[in-house]
Amino acid sequence: MKEPAARLKAAVLGTGKIGMDLAERLGKSGVLECALIVGRAETSIGLHRAAELGLATMAGGITAFVEAQERFDVVFDASNAAVHTAHWDALAATGAVLVDLTPSSTGTRVVPTVNGDRAVRSSRHFNMISCGGQTAIPVLHAIAATCTPAYVEVVATAATASTGRGTRLNIDEYIATTQAAVRELTGAPRVKALLNLSPAQPEPPFRVQVTMLAPDARPGPVRAAVHAAADRVRAFAPGYAVTSCSVTGERIDVALEVTAHSSHIPDYAGNLDIINAAAVHTAERAAAALAREGATPWKR
Amino acid sequence: MEEVTESKVVLYDPTLRDGHHAVRHQLDADQLRAYATAADQAGVPVVEVGHGNGLGASSHQLGQAKLSDDEMLTVVRESLTRSRMGVFLAPGWGTGADLAGAVARGADVVRIAAHCSQADVAERHLGEARAAGVEAQAVLLMSHMIGPAELAEQCALLISYGAQAVGIMDSAGHYLPTDVTTRITAVTRAVGEVPVIFHGHNNLGLAMANSLAAVTAGATVIDGCARGFGAGAGNAQLEVLAAVLQRTGHPTGIDLHQLLAAADIAEARLMSAPPTIDSISLVSGLAGVFSGFKLPVLEAARRGGVDPVDVLFELGRRQVVAGQEDQIPAVVRQLQRT
Repeated sequence: MKEPAARLKAAVLGTGKIGMDLAERLGKSGVLECALIVGRAETSIGLHRAAELGLATMAGGITAFVEAQERFDVVFDASNAAVHTAHWDALAATGAVLVDLTPSSTGTRVVPTVNGDRAVRSSRHFNMISCGGQTAIPVLHAIAATCTPAYVEVVATAATASTGRGTRLNIDEYIATTQAAVRELTGAPRVKALLNLSPAQPEPPFRVQVTMLAPDARPGPVRAAVHAAADRVRAFAPGYAVTSCSVTGERIDVALEVTAHSSHIPDYAGNLDIINAAAVHTAERAAAALAREGATPWKR
Repeated sequence: MEEVTESKVVLYDPTLRDGHHAVRHQLDADQLRAYATAADQAGVPVVEVGHGNGLGASSHQLGQAKLSDDEMLTVVRESLTRSRMGVFLAPGWGTGADLAGAVARGADVVRIAAHCSQADVAERHLGEARAAGVEAQAVLLMSHMIGPAELAEQCALLISYGAQAVGIMDSAGHYLPTDVTTRITAVTRAVGEVPVIFHGHNNLGLAMANSLAAVTAGATVIDGCARGFGAGAGNAQLEVLAAVLQRTGHPTGIDLHQLLAAADIAEARLMSAPPTIDSISLVSGLAGVFSGFKLPVLEAARRGGVDPVDVLFELGRRQVVAGQEDQIPAVVRQLQRT
């Protein structure tokens, strides 16, 4: 892929943990630049910190952003699910590539190593599902190619300190979105997602335990599929690791761990790392796909 | 709560919820009906029912219940004439849809649970419970992990979210009476007139002493299970609590004779034997590990050929909380390597 001479303009909505890390991550992208970060209150700590980092900021939230009508190639929405859903139409009308990091149910659900290629060709509006979904689905999808899943369970445990207020208010949406995405991308008829927040000190790394029941599970192909899938994820999220994989009868258990590899978020916050890495990766590929078609949304 | 006098204590009975941990969530409809009917006759104020981890929790990670939430709630609702029906919901395991389902099936009291320092995860569902018109209580699990001032702060937050009673659970059975006194004192000071809840476990043989310390420090809602039927070494024993509170001048409004009959039914129908402080439960209390881990730890240790005591101490070192059952096999694997 030939890198465009000028980086594409990206805006980040939300100054919580996800939004701030995204902004900092975009600073390292060769394809995208963070041209604006949007917060709700003028006085928010996040906006203040963003300004200190030299980023252009805007208060007034998504409403002010839409009203300003400034053109961006990519908009990352890291606000919250309810707000996102309410402003979906207005955001879509801007023509930008839209990457939704809230657990809402709008947009094409994308897991880069599973359906990334197809998604960036067919859609401009991407839903990044959830941290648990981005961690579990790559291996679940790979396992499902070797057997017939009857039931899937995804249990994520994140350190309390790695979750902000948005996450805590959106736990039900996290569960609904994760379950829907696992069903869609693995074909399992029954899916259950659980989320734990750990108060332990020092903070534990982000852990996701996946369990699949499949009457035709075969240990060899399952293990090979899991490790190959993990290698593919590590291409853009180097802290992704399989800590155990076992097949006992029809039951498959895989333990996954993600540690953050970013200078700006703590090592244990793998939940932030995985969804942001997937979001930036998807946005870069979508932008590149549009550029190839000569259809970069806003030519400068 | 009606007619609260200074010394009145409300006994809250999670026998059919916490007891589920002792039988891998396998109570059937006849068992639920038998105990709920007896507790109702005794005038137990609130009978809580559900999977050990509450609404929506039935899963491979937390244990699969024999009955669905709907089935459990329907049976218990039909068995109660004057006791109120309680349910337990921890966000992350259960959802607002589960809460709405429980209210539709006649839950009167909804307890929203959050781990010690995470009151704000309860905010949304406390609001939903209040909007549904049921009594909304809030409890902090694994409360030994943080100190009195922080717990008091968290309880004040829970009230700001709409909780009508707040309190702490000694999920690991780790407290000494002085720990309870300092914590309940701090909480009661922070919450004014709002009733304060204490939920004790018996891993160190102190469930009764701790519950009494809680009452002395101002708690007015005390949890107890018939014959102590509950996770690990069991809970504060309901019928003993009723008797001890009567002797210490705290009327509970429960008919002790009928309560003894209910406890006999619980022993005969719900459990193979009443809980005891076996070695594993004692270690679990010492290590500060959630009592509900007992059976999964014993089984994983046996299969993996490692000492369950070592497993528990390592789980304690990792400060795991309920819901992190995946850390049990992880610790077994670690011990097998060393």
